[in-house]
Amino acid sequence: MKPIMLQGHTRAITQIKYNREGDLLFSAAKDHSPSIWYSSNGERLGTFDGHNGAVWCIDVDWKSTRAITGGGDMTVRLWDVETGACLNEVERSSSVRTCLYSYSGNMVVYSTDYAMSQPCEIFYADVRDPSQLGESVTRATVADSDKVTSILWGPLDETIVTGHSSGKLTQWDLKTNKIVTTVEDHHANINDMQPSKDGTMFITASKDKTSKLFDTETLECLKTYKTERPVNSATISPNLDHVVLGGGQEAMDVTRTATSQGKFESRFFDLVYEEEFARVKGHFGPINSLAFHPGGRHVRVLGWFSLQTPRRNFRSSYEMT
Amino acid sequence: MAKKKDSVDNGTEQQKEPEPDFSDPEGFVDDIPDEQLCGDLLRSKPRETDGVESVIVVDGLPLVDRDRLDKLKTVIRKIFSRFGVIVTEHYAQENASENAPNGNTTYMFIEYSNAANALEAVKQADGYKVDKSHTLCVNLFTDFEKYESIPDEWHTPEPQPYKDPGNLLYYIMEPDAYDQYAIVTLGIPKAGPGGHTVQANDIQVWCNAIPEPTEVLDRVGGTETIVKWSPLGTYMATFHAKGVALWGGEKFEKINRFAHPNAEFIDFSPCERYIITFSPKAERQYDNPEVLIIWEVRTGAKKRTFSEIWKSPWPILKWSQDDKYFARLGPDMLSIYETPSFRLLENKSLKIPGVRDFSWSPSDNILAYWVAEEKDVPARVTLLEIPSRVEIRAKNLFSVADCRMHWQKSGDFLCVKVDRYTKFRKEKHETKYSGMYYNFEIFHMREKQVPVDSTEIKEPISAFAWEPIGHKFAIIHGEQNNISVSFYGVKKGDTPTLLKKFEKRRFNTLFWSPQGQFIILACLKSAEGPIEFIDTSDFTIMNTLMPELTTDIEWDPTGRYVVAGVSAWTGKVSDTGYSLLTFQGKSLRKERVDRFGNLFWRPRPPCLLPHAKIKEIKKNLKNYSPQFETKDRMRHSKATMEILRKREEIINAWKEYREKKQEQYAAQKKQRLLLRNHIETDELDSDKASMQEEIIEVLVKEEIQDTE
Repeated sequence: MKPIMLQGHTRAITQIKYNREGDLLFSAAKDHSPSIWYSSNGERLGTFDGHNGAVWCIDVDWKSTRAITGGGDMTVRLWDVETGACLNEVERSSSVRTCLYSYSGNMVVYSTDYAMSQPCEIFYADVRDPSQLGESVTRATVADSDKVTSILWGPLDETIVTGHSSGKLTQWDLKTNKIVTTVEDHHANINDMQPSKDGTMFITASKDKTSKLFDTETLECLKTYKTERPVNSATISPNLDHVVLGGGQEAMDVTRTATSQGKFESRFFDLVYEEEFARVKGHFGPINSLAFHPGGRHVRVLGWFSLQTPRRNFRSSYEMT
Repeated sequence: MAKKKDSVDNGTEQQKEPEPDFSDPEGFVDDIPDEQLCGDLLRSKPRETDGVESVIVVDGLPLVDRDRLDKLKTVIRKIFSRFGVIVTEHYAQENASENAPNGNTTYMFIEYSNAANALEAVKQADGYKVDKSHTLCVNLFTDFEKYESIPDEWHTPEPQPYKDPGNLLYYIMEPDAYDQYAIVTLGIPKAGPGGHTVQANDIQVWCNAIPEPTEVLDRVGGTETIVKWSPLGTYMATFHAKGVALWGGEKFEKINRFAHPNAEFIDFSPCERYIITFSPKAERQYDNPEVLIIWEVRTGAKKRTFSEIWKSPWPILKWSQDDKYFARLGPDMLSIYETPSFRLLENKSLKIPGVRDFSWSPSDNILAYWVAEEKDVPARVTLLEIPSRVEIRAKNLFSVADCRMHWQKSGDFLCVKVDRYTKFRKEKHETKYSGMYYNFEIFHMREKQVPVDSTEIKEPISAFAWEPIGHKFAIIHGEQNNISVSFYGVKKGDTPTLLKKFEKRRFNTLFWSPQGQFIILACLKSAEGPIEFIDTSDFTIMNTLMPELTTDIEWDPTGRYVVAGVSAWTGKVSDTGYSLLTFQGKSLRKERVDRFGNLFWRPRPPCLLPHAKIKEIKKNLKNYSPQFETKDRMRHSKATMEILRKREEIINAWKEYREKKQEQYAAQKKQRLLLRNHIETDELDSDKASMQEEIIEVLVKEEIQDTE
């Protein structure tokens, strides 16, 4: 295993994504510059400049031509991957927490936070023409203060699955814009959801210290992976029956405890038996986001240093042998 | 006129309209009782007893002259106005004549504003001593009626049907001698009525079976603090705002409950016959509190209550080993009570000026106490036989700052740890000692005349523990950063000899195995404190563990297993739980339990085998062990098979599920292609047509040749 460190972000990473081929890595951080990197050597290709706040989410379409980002400056932006130019930006009334390209790349979905009496809303937009980003085809309002914290497209772009701050998972039908199924297997914030390679399953990462595997169609909970720390991110290997979980003690507590107690390892579980079989150390702070290389050879792990050494970011890639 | 008449007629016609008929129809039966119609009114209907109930009769007044009567009245008023507002007071004047020397009679009546005050007055003022020769006798006025109406014939009360609690000792009949343990996990405190926070903790009882423990009981919110096993393990006590409940039997059914609000401490008598509940809060809340109550476990009867306690550490009452006596410390006295009468032994306490502490022998009815030094009188440790109160042995000690008495569990030895000084000075209320050194006075209880040996140690001693069965004791001593652990052996008629000393260790607590020989040295409540397992037969260190943190260590009653726990009581939020270890320190299981509170092993009654028999078994252990080893092996292979079978089940179910899903996925291929402009993207390399390969050169390492 050989780690590659990608250094460049000046604040905590929030999300990372590989493009379909896995040659590029897209990253969003609390600094204002989402970046693209060459995955083979960790060199930075460029940044998307324009956000005036933390960037919470990033995604790229399957052709790697366009990217979407959303952030704390209450905007969602569409970018040209090749030039880094901003194609359109739309301002909403609260932070944009999640954004995602559909399978076809024609549609995007994004959601806003519940904040300052603004309800949490989900927007669907057809972005074949970038100017349509704000003209949402449909929008849905989430009841109560139970905001959307992560989002996924269902098979064939027909449904959406949202993970909420209460731990609830909700499936929405795009045609009728109605809730189809709701399950409450988790009981704390869903930090991340990532699909399996074929999209028939997905894994959640929750603050309740567990990760769970769900069926995308029925939202049936298939497997549970237990840890002792809040899980910030989880991902499924594309070619092996493995899942990788990353997390750690909340940043607030880390400053008070020894690093050995933080449990910042990325942890490998057997997909089927739910048993942990390996741990990879090497982080000094909690892991914020994890992604498997589409070829299955690397796991990309993103974390950040704790307060003793602020303004340093830390990323590494592990080659599985 | 006609018109007018008409109008008049109209008027009379209107008046003639039939009046509503209020009389009951024929055959009507009034079936609504008055209570239903005006129950609230009836409730306040005066009754004969009203007023009488709030009247009390005070008897035993001193006879005084007329001119001093007013003074008496003031005194009486002062006493009784404490219990409520006095409405009327009446002093009977029997044959009152101007010349009579007696201005009053010995009795009087007081009426309070309500009956509750009268009750309170009777409860508290009865037996009040006005002066040396006059004691008040207070009764309710209604008592006259009560005692008048006692039936002449006596009916024997019906015996209560016997409730069979089942076999309370079923847990020791477990064929493989697995022990049980209770786990308390802390609940989240909730706001209850009256602004108090209510905490309900969960109880689980497990049987420590091999290879996996089995659950015996799971009771959510079963106690408000912890659970406590009785000393022989028969009962499990839980704590509640209203009192203490005892549970037992196979299903942990309620055996009894003892209503004592806010009882915080309990103590069973050694034979489980009695239970003491102690509610420190009661002292502040009521005028005549029941701070300490002794109950009979089986009947639930209140045997004796104490309303005030002289400040002494818990347990305030100490039991003799056979439940026959219990004693408590008072100012300059020792009170010994006997059961089942619960009265003072020989009706008087022992007057011992300066008595500081006492302790019962765990095997005989012998009590040891020590008296502090006073000017030229030396301190003294005395052994007293109960009930004869014969002094078996006394030892005078000089320059004593403090004494601690440690009985060996089998009652063979008593060790008195004496803190001695070379100098002292008085500062206001405190006495400060300096030049401390320490003595162990070992009383050989099983020998004639009880000889005493002493050993001196110069360093401060932080922990002391007798081997429960055996002749050794262990101490932790030394200044900070230079802590040593020493083991001493005690032989017949000999001073204790140092057997082994481990120097420069980081330990603060000792835990002997309940069977002796093995000991655990630990550094509790400290980050990365070590735990060491030592076999004291040859002082080999069997294992050393370095856990992140340990807050509790609990031996199982047989000395086979030990549990090291990290409790959430210390305020720790994450990583709480416990690990199960063998007596050699081998880790068997590690359980993480969120909000883990405590783990308590269920005690066992003492072994009934005679000492010789135990020795024989120990000697022939080799003959017995193969049978257990095969049993263990079989169990193990069975467990492995079970695991393999389960895994196969899981993987088959998974394969089945995945096949179904993959079929579905393949069926949707056409639709997927449509979504992505007919470009095949299911696999990374499936879209060969539009793939461009780029060759990137990366500098892996740069070697600069040194040309100089």
